[in-house]
Amino acid sequence: MTRISGKYLAKRIVVSYLTLLVIMSLLFVLLRSMPGSFITSMISSGMTAEQIERIRETWGLNEPLWKQYVQFMINYQTGNFGRSPTYNAQVWDLIVRRMPRTLVLFGSTFIIGFIIGPLVGMYLGWWRGSTKDKSIFSTSLLLYSMPSFWISWLFIWVINYELDWLPSAYMFTQFPEFEWTAFTVMRDVLYHIALPVMSLTFIGWVGSMLIMRPTMNQVTDEGYVFLARAKGLSERTVMVKHAARNALIPVATGAVVSLAFLIDGSVIIENVFNWPGMGQIIVSAVLNRDFPVAQAVFFMLALLIVVMRLLTDVVYTYLDPRIKFGEGE
Amino acid sequence: MTLLEVNDLSIRYAVDDGSSVHATDDVSFSVERGETYGLVGESGCGKTTLAKSLVHLLDDNGYVENGNVWFDGTLPQWSDEQGDATQSVIDDPDKPVRADGKTDLAALTNAQIRDIRWRDIAIIPQSAMNALNPVYKVGDQIVEAILRHEPETTADEAHERARDLLERVGIEPDRADDYAHQFSGGMKQRAVIAMAMACSPDLLIADEPTTALDVIIQDRILEELEKLQEEFGVSILVISHDISVMAEICDRMAVMYGGKVMESGPKDEIFGETANPYTLGLKNSFPTITSADQDLVSIPGTPPTLRDPDDGCRFRDRCPFAIEECHASHPPMYDVEAAESLGRSEEGTDERAHRSACYRIDELEQLRTDAIEESTWTEQRIESR
Repeated sequence: MTRISGKYLAKRIVVSYLTLLVIMSLLFVLLRSMPGSFITSMISSGMTAEQIERIRETWGLNEPLWKQYVQFMINYQTGNFGRSPTYNAQVWDLIVRRMPRTLVLFGSTFIIGFIIGPLVGMYLGWWRGSTKDKSIFSTSLLLYSMPSFWISWLFIWVINYELDWLPSAYMFTQFPEFEWTAFTVMRDVLYHIALPVMSLTFIGWVGSMLIMRPTMNQVTDEGYVFLARAKGLSERTVMVKHAARNALIPVATGAVVSLAFLIDGSVIIENVFNWPGMGQIIVSAVLNRDFPVAQAVFFMLALLIVVMRLLTDVVYTYLDPRIKFGEGE
Repeated sequence: MTLLEVNDLSIRYAVDDGSSVHATDDVSFSVERGETYGLVGESGCGKTTLAKSLVHLLDDNGYVENGNVWFDGTLPQWSDEQGDATQSVIDDPDKPVRADGKTDLAALTNAQIRDIRWRDIAIIPQSAMNALNPVYKVGDQIVEAILRHEPETTADEAHERARDLLERVGIEPDRADDYAHQFSGGMKQRAVIAMAMACSPDLLIADEPTTALDVIIQDRILEELEKLQEEFGVSILVISHDISVMAEICDRMAVMYGGKVMESGPKDEIFGETANPYTLGLKNSFPTITSADQDLVSIPGTPPTLRDPDDGCRFRDRCPFAIEECHASHPPMYDVEAAESLGRSEEGTDERAHRSACYRIDELEQLRTDAIEESTWTEQRIESR
């Protein structure tokens, strides 16, 4: 049972598509307004003007800018992301290889954070004003004000450098002595992902807790919470089933926003942990004026956010039956 | 058969500065099986607090200072097949059950009272319109109550009963699959009433059951309650500030002011032979449909704050009839009938009789005549007293 009409969904998809077109155009303009050209990295000082001209010709840089733009838009909509001059590979292949790595790291951080945060927020909101609430809340604010890369360095220093429990870099063991089976690979990835996930969730849960706590506190005064108690339900059932269920609705909005911030953070965190994902190539692509890669990576991130927004609407209708999309349109 | 006996119940709210608010002070009343008992009074007089305290639903800072709430019924684990308390439970000095099988609800723990809630005493809260959870189907919320207290019921049976209950209060059974926002105000109210009857409680507490509704719907809700009372034989404790609601449905009632019962007894006697200045004032301030050009006279002033109150009569600051004695102590509940023939004498011990807390109980004729005059109730008159 979904309360999203097909017509509404179609409309939302069209709007999302247009949004992506605008983002693509912006990307094209923004990257090209940076100083330098994307063939700079291919030119060495000994090249003749003729050779440079040939490179420009090959990469289509002699065409007028509007023609380049039209070609770019056509390519993207036909799934042709072009070739990276710096990585000397198809951009699509780069993305297919790196995107899952980023998703694994930030997806698990995201999920763990959005389990811990609302749970803690539920308890703190329910017992608001208690000593426990006050101490946990102020501690979490302290955590929240720490930059994630700094926390990451702390974790690397203590857990990797001092205690030597977990690796601080890469996704796999570099020169493995074990056999590569599905099981050993999975174990190896878990071993490598533990430290970055730990340091990211160490502060990552606070955001959703900050949304959950006040809404939870608000719903404790609602008539249905009183009635649930009057029915003889246990405090736990009242808190989880009647109060928290209602307080979750604003958390869903927060989830999309925080996903955007998480991905922002990936640029820094992937470099701190030497994690071979998208965040890493964003930096090198921009520094090297590798426009095809930069464009594609930014585009994929935008796509992720747009898709998440669409999903939130669906999640909303499940969380709150009062919300209907597309009725009367 | 008495279902509920509230004896000297005093409820306090703790305040940050260490003082306490006396929400009710030594309130006593009793409700018979199958009867409708009304608690009437201005807002802030303690009637809702009183009702909530019966099933321990007070806010966090509220507590019972003293008193008992004897209820004819007991915990499932303490009762035999007929639902009466077993002899061993009665004999056990640690269990708050007395010889006639009544249980002192005020002495139960939080875990214990949860078994009493809804199964024995259901409460329709003041904000019944907001009492339905917006994210669950109305029918499921009724089912939840049934399964909580009768876990042996199958889900299908419970759903069937929920639909049946809705039908009884005049809601299409199929609406059980709807959400609260798809119901009108009156329907929500009726759905909560249906939910309250889910476990056939012995006592139904209806807190301002009609307040937010228009007059036509009000009337229908009151009829609904009366119908259910006939069908289920449930006792109803109605709380309202609206004495016209009381006049319509109560058998007996208590008029509360400032945490005290001022007058109590059979409804007809309270309305016909009003015996307390506060009730007289309250009657003045409500319109009656029979006398169209009647001037409404309100009681000047506001109710007392009840924070560490002094010993005098709670109503004396607003009472045009107050005398010296009223400042010294709050009057006991005098038996009205006895006072008429014998003058002010003994405190009335029969809780069912017409009783009034007023030192001038022997001058009733005079009070009633004066109370009709608007000039009696003017501010100056009371202040220059």
